[in-house]
Amino acid sequence: MKCELYEELFTGWINKELSPEEKGVLEQHISGCDHCRTELEALQQLWGHMGQFETPEPSANMSVKFYAMLDTYKESVKEQRSLWADIKYQLSNFWQWQPRWPMAYNLAMVAILVVAGYLFFGKSKSDDQDRQLQALSSQVHELKQTMMLALLENPSASERIRGVSYTSEIKHADKQVIDALLATLNNDPNVNVRLSTLDALTHLAGHPEVREGLIKSIVEQDSPLMQLAIADVMLKLQEKRSVGSFKELLKQKDLDHGVRDKIKQTITQLI
Amino acid sequence: MLKVKAGDLDRMGMLFERYNRQLYGFLFHMTYQRELSEDMVQQVFYKMLKYRHTFTGTGEYIHWMYSIARNVLKDHWRKNKQQVQHEGVEAAETIAGGLVPDEAFEKKQAKAELHRAMGKLSESQREILALSRFQELKCQEIAQILGMTEGTVKVRIHRAMQELKSIYVKMER
Repeated sequence: MKCELYEELFTGWINKELSPEEKGVLEQHISGCDHCRTELEALQQLWGHMGQFETPEPSANMSVKFYAMLDTYKESVKEQRSLWADIKYQLSNFWQWQPRWPMAYNLAMVAILVVAGYLFFGKSKSDDQDRQLQALSSQVHELKQTMMLALLENPSASERIRGVSYTSEIKHADKQVIDALLATLNNDPNVNVRLSTLDALTHLAGHPEVREGLIKSIVEQDSPLMQLAIADVMLKLQEKRSVGSFKELLKQKDLDHGVRDKIKQTITQLI
Repeated sequence: MLKVKAGDLDRMGMLFERYNRQLYGFLFHMTYQRELSEDMVQQVFYKMLKYRHTFTGTGEYIHWMYSIARNVLKDHWRKNKQQVQHEGVEAAETIAGGLVPDEAFEKKQAKAELHRAMGKLSESQREILALSRFQELKCQEIAQILGMTEGTVKVRIHRAMQELKSIYVKMER
């Protein structure tokens, strides 16, 4: 170990904070390192000399000043409190000093005017704002839809997945969107894009055309991954009409063994 | 201190009785000026009263006290930037000069030199030595006051001691 690494121990040594183990480590080091031993001795001596400095006592004056300060401070705190009480008292006086009924009448008039003003101006304004807001949100909606459709045509698979994921933000998917998604589901060359499309379509399963499209798509899928996923979706949607398509799929000779088992299981569960 | 915070201001008197000498000692070793240190003690206690709501009670009271004292020192140094460099050294010299006369001359000389050497250290080095040597705080406590790790404190004390030694050795030559 280098000498610098003992610096922490040096401090502990001179102010006697070392544990027995640490002491042992340092002792071992200085027995073999003359430089550190002389250094430590010098510092120890210096530390000892410093101990001879006397710290003078504060004068009695300090204590007197402190208590004077404390008293003044306490007074000022009290004054602050009484100032508050004073204001409160003045306010309550003010109410009593005014003839009560006219004052109450004034306050009531002010309140009525405020409410009337709010009703009159506030309402017409908010109607207008609502309309504007609606127009704006429908514009944004359209924009998103166009963007999603454009993204689905993108040559990059990850961009297409992004496009698909936008559909979750579109509240009311129209026929155009659904058609585009179904086309992607059946024709996209990338299986990941198809999987996320399937996911997006599952969320739109409330539309009858989506359900039909999914059922039709069963026979179109050649990837085992997609076949398994679609079987799961059908099970989740409890779509009994899909049984026919599954049976057709079973007729394919090159069907994956695992997929075959899964589909058989799905059919029994659906029926 | 928590009672003071709750509004029992008389308790501050108790805290003053308990800690004023310790605090005075620290400020004295940082400034070497008696009157200035007394004024600063006053300022520290005033600040503790005024800002008593900021004492959270999570740390030790004396750590809080030292951190306020350090701020008072910093303010002082900022206001009197030009003087400071010489002030400490000169003050150290006057103090050293006024030591008990029947002490052996050499010893007195050495002590004066060491005082002067202390005055030549940087403020932060003087501070860490004041806390560890004169206030006799443990490294762990110093670490809490200065907001460092214990290891850093130990290394800094060591460096400050080395610096002090080299200044001292140069003076003796």
